[in-house]
Amino acid sequence: MNPLFTNKKVIALLVLPGLCIMLFAIAIPLLISLGLSLTKFAGFGKMTFIGLDNFFRLALDQTFWKSLYNVFVLILVTIFFQNVLAFLIASILTKITEKTSRILRTIYFIPAILSLVVVTKLWVNIFHPTFGLLNKLLHFMGFADSGRAWLGDPKTALWAVIWIMIWQGFGWALLFFYGGLMTVPKELEEAAIVDGANKWHLYTNVILPYMMPVLQSIIIIDVVSSLKQMEMIYLSTEGGPGNTTQFIALYLYQRAFKYTEYGYGNAISVLFVIIAVFFTLTIQRMFKKAVDQI
Amino acid sequence: MKRDTSYLLRKNTGKVLVTLVLTALLLAQLFPLLWLFSYSIKKSGDLFGPELLSFPAVPQWGNYYKAFFDGKIPLYLSNTLKIVIPSVTLGTILPFCLAYACTRMEWKLKKLVWLLVIIGMTIPIHTTLLPNFIWYRFFHLIDSHLGLIISYMAFTMSFNTIVFAGLLAGIPKSMEESAFIDGAGYHVILPQIIAPMAVTGFATVGVQTFLNHWNEFLMANTYLSSEAKRTLPFSIILFSGQYVSDYAVQFACMTLVALPPLVLYFVFNRWILAGVTAGAVKG
Repeated sequence: MNPLFTNKKVIALLVLPGLCIMLFAIAIPLLISLGLSLTKFAGFGKMTFIGLDNFFRLALDQTFWKSLYNVFVLILVTIFFQNVLAFLIASILTKITEKTSRILRTIYFIPAILSLVVVTKLWVNIFHPTFGLLNKLLHFMGFADSGRAWLGDPKTALWAVIWIMIWQGFGWALLFFYGGLMTVPKELEEAAIVDGANKWHLYTNVILPYMMPVLQSIIIIDVVSSLKQMEMIYLSTEGGPGNTTQFIALYLYQRAFKYTEYGYGNAISVLFVIIAVFFTLTIQRMFKKAVDQI
Repeated sequence: MKRDTSYLLRKNTGKVLVTLVLTALLLAQLFPLLWLFSYSIKKSGDLFGPELLSFPAVPQWGNYYKAFFDGKIPLYLSNTLKIVIPSVTLGTILPFCLAYACTRMEWKLKKLVWLLVIIGMTIPIHTTLLPNFIWYRFFHLIDSHLGLIISYMAFTMSFNTIVFAGLLAGIPKSMEESAFIDGAGYHVILPQIIAPMAVTGFATVGVQTFLNHWNEFLMANTYLSSEAKRTLPFSIILFSGQYVSDYAVQFACMTLVALPPLVLYFVFNRWILAGVTAGAVKG
């Protein structure tokens, strides 16, 4: 081994700054969170140790389960609507001229680079009952009766919020799939066509299996980012009406900063990290099995 | 003959369908933004008309003037720059160093550190907001720009390190070895030999980190309590609270805040798109 690559001083200099920042701003806070989750604490004053009581309370907290349920709805919509659409569009983009494809990719990604605050406030205005674009559009098409306060109506609020998330997230999904499709070797496709595969078989039996690793990272990103959704709801419905748009990250935030229940908020935090890591590992394992079978 | 026409017909229907789908998507993505812009140059009273999209005969550019000053954009903008310049510079260089040590050098704890980097990707920001509110207080990092800089860097560290690692793993080790034989130390090898080879990585990571930190709202909203320290997104919040009836100015403010990332995107879109694509493939 060349001594150049084992120089301890250099390694320390390269690793420590980045590592210390991560430990300081992520790892230590998580440990503190774990400790606080066992207490009853309002952020100041007395802190009482109450063992696992917060977690028992969480198990019976309907709003918590509702918020988790909404995350699942979002994950399903992301995987089965956003991803399928993104995959279709991405495969079209690989078939048209490079110039058009590049222009379209550039435009489709615009919502993804806008600030969350701008996007959310924009859609809050589009869904606005009196001057919002959506109600005007419905009026224009002759469905004036179906106009409503989209974010204020318990029947539509969740779908309206999910729509905003998909609108901004679509560009990412599209580019991920496009990047994945570009890695599929042309010869593989040509060979399948020579063997008489039709379009459907080409995609399901040749291209998708080849893209498994990409699909895995896309689904992990979908799940983790669904779990992380919060700012949009915070800036639009604040979880309402009546917790219909409550999401786990927002619920934790509200418990902590609105109701100053630090202990309870931290218990949600701890469970949140466990759920996020668990999902990531499970998906990885599922894909490993799927890849082994092929 | 008959066969040919039916084939052509099918081919054309396919083409029309594809064009239709692509255009519909284009409209869904762009129309809301056009609508936003059209409202930003109207008078507030004109927003309630029935038309879907219209541009006023006399554009109210005064809305922008009002948004700029009433939205405190000069103050918020300078705050954002004070945070973003150091956080993006260090937030790009430190992951590069970390990735270098993790991919090309040999040390005992390498596997453990790499595991921490991977786990760092899955940790949601929200779970650290609460404990940090207490932890940062010890170091007077609450309501300070330094606290935000540290947090921003921490949360883009994992992803950036992974992108750099993918890039650095492909460079042959003889690069360093020959430079070493020529008598160069690491203070020469890293910036003058390795970094130029990873220049695409610096561009994509740098631009993406910039967009992330520029648009960040949640931590800024939680940690910054004093009005004078707040960042750019707050100008929009300010309008939806204080000047709630002045809709048109609110729209002008949103356009103003959205503009810098848009300009940056159009200048650097090749790097940004390449970075996203690389991220997907590397996983």
